[in-house]
Amino acid sequence: MARYILGRVLSLLLVLFIVSVVTFFLMHQVPGGPFDETKAPLPPAAKENILRKYGLDKPIHIQYLNYMKNAVLHFDFGIPYQQPTTTVTALIAKSWKVTAQVGLMTVLLAFGAGIALGVYAAYHQNSWLDNVTTFIAMLGITVPSFVIAMWLILFFAVRLKWLPMGGWNASGTCLIGSAYICTDWIMPVLAYALGPLAIIARYTRSSVVDVMRQDFTRTARAKGLATKTIMLRHILRNALIPMVTALGVIIPNLLTGSIFIEAVFRINGLGKFFVTSIFNRDYPMIMALFLLIAFLWSLTYLFTDILYTWIDPRVRLGAEGGA
Amino acid sequence: MTVSAATRLDVARPEESRHRTLWHDAARRFLRNRLAVAGLAIVVFFLSLAVFADLVAPYPYDRVYYDRVLRFPFELAGHPLGTDEVGRDYLSRLIYGARTSMTVGIAVQMVAFVIGVPLGSLAGFVGGRTDFLISRFIDIMTAFPGLMFSILIISVWGGGITKVIFALSITSWIGIARLTRGQILSLREKEYVEAARCVGVSRNRIILRHLLPNALTPILVAISFGIPAAMFGEAGLSFLGIGINDPIPSWGKMVGVSNAYVRVYWHLALFPTVAVALSMLGFSFVGDGLRDALDPKMIE
Repeated sequence: MARYILGRVLSLLLVLFIVSVVTFFLMHQVPGGPFDETKAPLPPAAKENILRKYGLDKPIHIQYLNYMKNAVLHFDFGIPYQQPTTTVTALIAKSWKVTAQVGLMTVLLAFGAGIALGVYAAYHQNSWLDNVTTFIAMLGITVPSFVIAMWLILFFAVRLKWLPMGGWNASGTCLIGSAYICTDWIMPVLAYALGPLAIIARYTRSSVVDVMRQDFTRTARAKGLATKTIMLRHILRNALIPMVTALGVIIPNLLTGSIFIEAVFRINGLGKFFVTSIFNRDYPMIMALFLLIAFLWSLTYLFTDILYTWIDPRVRLGAEGGA
Repeated sequence: MTVSAATRLDVARPEESRHRTLWHDAARRFLRNRLAVAGLAIVVFFLSLAVFADLVAPYPYDRVYYDRVLRFPFELAGHPLGTDEVGRDYLSRLIYGARTSMTVGIAVQMVAFVIGVPLGSLAGFVGGRTDFLISRFIDIMTAFPGLMFSILIISVWGGGITKVIFALSITSWIGIARLTRGQILSLREKEYVEAARCVGVSRNRIILRHLLPNALTPILVAISFGIPAAMFGEAGLSFLGIGINDPIPSWGKMVGVSNAYVRVYWHLALFPTVAVALSMLGFSFVGDGLRDALDPKMIE
């Protein structure tokens, strides 16, 4: 086990290295730079000074090594060109909370509602709710989140005027009872969660149906256990094992999906910075965000693989194609 | 693995008629699937819009009418779906948008096929060091989100339809290559391949005549799911404003632009979103139908 984890961590580091090299060299391929003279002509001495200040006058591999040294040792990813008064680390530190909030609520909704719907659909096959679930699943899997988001806006914000058009923690009615709930959370989380919710509901339904047909379920029923006990202790426990695989698919997609949700609902999180950084050719910011995403992405894969073997002892580690 | 029960019984038949039977069976199963047929109808509809856009669209996609900016549907007789924020006929832009979307979807999957199938077969059949190199490369590519790669490429080399196709192709072949490798790996141990090898059939011929035709159906299904995925990629990039450049219409871009006008001009958001959703649903239904039709084991 330890050996397997070590191997996976090493390959994670290799991947991160390759991603960082590719990103770094690609970034420097970009036509034009942050100090384009078409926007503001500079005297040669001033330009030279600026280039020296940001280390842009050195050969590219030295620039890369400098960058990685600062990034790994000092957690210093440079200064964002779009906001030169702060650092990249500070900017990310400021905006990741919003993105994490959106993501966390989405995961909670997707797993909660997805598992509930899937179990219900499995127990009441071909009922109307089962058919509705199948339909929602189809919609959630095939239709992009920004399309769903647009429909929600058109219906709930434009037509009915029930919900705010966008924002996060910004709309006035933030207090309902004693709980801190914002009305502007509803649409982003709903639009964001529908895809994963659909996948989870589908997985859950088929694996619950599968486990319901197993011998041990029949035995449990035959010895007279309550339906609820059978569902919780026998069926759900086994049916949820494949959910770990779903987790491995969903979490990485959530990382990138946030870009779209934040764009539609004008949420000032990492996703928004991602887009503005690309428009502004903000190398340090793009670099840091790409590394962050690659890191989280590989970490999720590692984590779900380990979780899977921990939950299901039948899976053998290390074997080719076995895990 | 995909030989149907019917064909397994009459192995003695010549190869030609055996092939026809598989596809004939598949077509029959496909046509019996109502969702698949509905999907096919949607796909054919959008494909013909894409092909015959010049004939169907009432205006060129880039004709600007300065006096007809942001009109609602049916407000003006000549513009049944209204006009956009610079005064272009919205219906025409939607129709030409189908062309953009379909072109990207199909082109990306063609690239995926052309790169993924040879690489996957090579890795699966030759094995050894070649397999190791290709597999590790695939692993590394998988370790990074595909859409991020595309965004990275686009942010470096800029937008436009060929660059979007290029950017999406970079990661699109990975799944196909892995699938082909797995197929070839399992098929090459089959008795008929051993038999072919025994009578001295060359390596290329074994791959081309014995392995690939049998590996083809799952690849075909993967391609049919890959088309909507590529369309999603194009729509997504364009939605963020870094995909297709003006004045070429793209549904994703139209959705993105509409975000600023949606409070009043609802039609700008509604029509392209419906187009995106419908076309992707259509392709997914066809993919589902194909998978069920080509794999008889799925029927139970």
